Amino acid sequence: MSEIVVQSVERTYRSGGRAVHALGPVSMEFEAGRTTTIVGPSGCGKSTLLRILGGLDRPSAGQVLVRGQPVGERMDGIGVVFQRDLLLDWRNILDNVLLAAEMKGLPRRAVEPRARALLDELGVGDFADRSPWELSGGMRQRVAIARALLCEPWLLLLDEPFSALDAMTRDQMGVLLQQVQQTAKTTAVLITHSIPEAVFLSDRVLVMSGRPGVILDDIAVDLPRPRTLALREEPEFAAIVRRIRVQFERSGVLA
Amino acid sequence: MSASDQAQQGRRLDRVRPREQAAIGRQAATGRGWGWVLPTLSGIGGLLLWELAVHGLELPSYLLPAPSEVALVMVEKWRLLLDQLVYTAFAAAVGFVIALAISLGLGAMIAASPAVERVLYVWLVVFHAIPKVVVAPLLLVWIGFGLKSSIIFVVVFTFFPMLVNTVAGLRSADPDLLLLARSMGGSSWHILRKIRIPSAMPSIISGIKISITLAPLGAVIGEFVASNKGLGHMLIQSVGSLEVPVAFAAVTVVSVLGILVWYLAEFVERITIPWHASQRGRSGSES
Ligand SMILES: Nc1ncnc2c1ncn2[C@@H]1O[C@H](COP(=O)(O)OP(=O)(O)O)[C@@H](O)[C@H]1O
Ligand SMILES: [Mg+2]
Repeated sequence: MSEIVVQSVERTYRSGGRAVHALGPVSMEFEAGRTTTIVGPSGCGKSTLLRILGGLDRPSAGQVLVRGQPVGERMDGIGVVFQRDLLLDWRNILDNVLLAAEMKGLPRRAVEPRARALLDELGVGDFADRSPWELSGGMRQRVAIARALLCEPWLLLLDEPFSALDAMTRDQMGVLLQQVQQTAKTTAVLITHSIPEAVFLSDRVLVMSGRPGVILDDIAVDLPRPRTLALREEPEFAAIVRRIRVQFERSGVLA
Repeated sequence: MSASDQAQQGRRLDRVRPREQAAIGRQAATGRGWGWVLPTLSGIGGLLLWELAVHGLELPSYLLPAPSEVALVMVEKWRLLLDQLVYTAFAAAVGFVIALAISLGLGAMIAASPAVERVLYVWLVVFHAIPKVVVAPLLLVWIGFGLKSSIIFVVVFTFFPMLVNTVAGLRSADPDLLLLARSMGGSSWHILRKIRIPSAMPSIISGIKISITLAPLGAVIGEFVASNKGLGHMLIQSVGSLEVPVAFAAVTVVSVLGILVWYLAEFVERITIPWHASQRGRSGSES
């Protein structure tokens, strides 16, 4: 059985008398330990879907089951990375990572070694005592990833985590994330606007339509791991990228 | 008060944002090396000109005393001036602390509950619209001469900017940040302590900086009307009896108090929010 089951989920926002049908109905399943990427045009409800998966928002219709149980108000064991790193200026880098534990009321003593190890693994261990504003965008996002991983989440939700970074940093981060996933094997749902990035990082790509978003295509990416950036030049890779692009063209997202 | 109203009010008060004034002052002051020369020369030159004008035009001291005369009075009456200063500063300090406590408490309640806000909003608008100076004589009627009146007037005079900024600050936490905190399983209490309050600090400190400089002014105005002690009373009385040099001495002391309070506010800002963009890299701030 799949770890997460999404059943006919819809979300309509109501504000000031107007209703915006943002998402769905969508149904899908996520397997444990796999990375699934969602691509789709801006405003199609990707972030909304991600929030619903994490129990941070409620669907207007349908339901999400996690290991057979309906998702409630609060969900334990998820790690979230947003496009903005959302580091707290009043905490140094280490304390920013430890925030994830403090929010759960865990004593920081117990998790500090893991926080330092994660920062090392992500290549920012030397900056543990620095302030966020002393770090570059890429480094800050590494810290945000460390923070998301601190409490060993079973589900990692990544909402355009590299969108604000330059192309080269972005590639680096992709490779890094893949490395981290290689060992952690967390179930991950990633949103991105970059089709190559989607293919490179995932075991499966879901293609969404414009608002209200529905699933247009569900593509397995059976490329061997660990992957290197050179893989992007291979014909198998290019074929998958093309298939996604064609979907977008057909639905009028890409002219 | 809707969130946007609040934000706007915050912004309106922000127009006189002391931080910006401070930044401007700082730039001038750190014009490295010789930056102090021109201001000093300008100050001394102005005083000299004033001194010469008074003697040259033979102005009587009940119209305009020479700086030297004012200085003489200050030396002669230093004990009296010091007493009045302590009295006024005490009223300002106590009033300010009470106002701070009220605005933090009330601000937290308003930020937490739309119902409280709706109940209080109209009263706050009315209260803010009343010119505070007009209230001072009423305090005399209700409370009588003395320290209590001055303190209450300082409270009335200073609490509004701090209240508005506290509310605006507590509401200013980044929605994505709150979402992130929730994804970490944070309880409301943890989110308040670790996200909302620190996010509110720059705004609260801004309010404090406005109010803290209003506090001595409030005390002096209160003393004009409802006191027989303090720098305000001394000022009114000396003008009434045409002892203008004494009035000038009192004004000088009030100004010195204002300057001290300003630096106190800067100091508080530096130690409470060293992480804020306005404070980074300032000498004395850690990191
Ligand atoms: N909190 C909200 N209130 C009202 N409308 C919203 C809200 N969040 C998102 N929307 C709307 O729902 C649609 C989908 O938003 P979102 O999930 O952020 O899309 P995406 O992440 O795919 O760009 C958009 O049209 C957006 O304007
Ligand atoms: Mg989005």
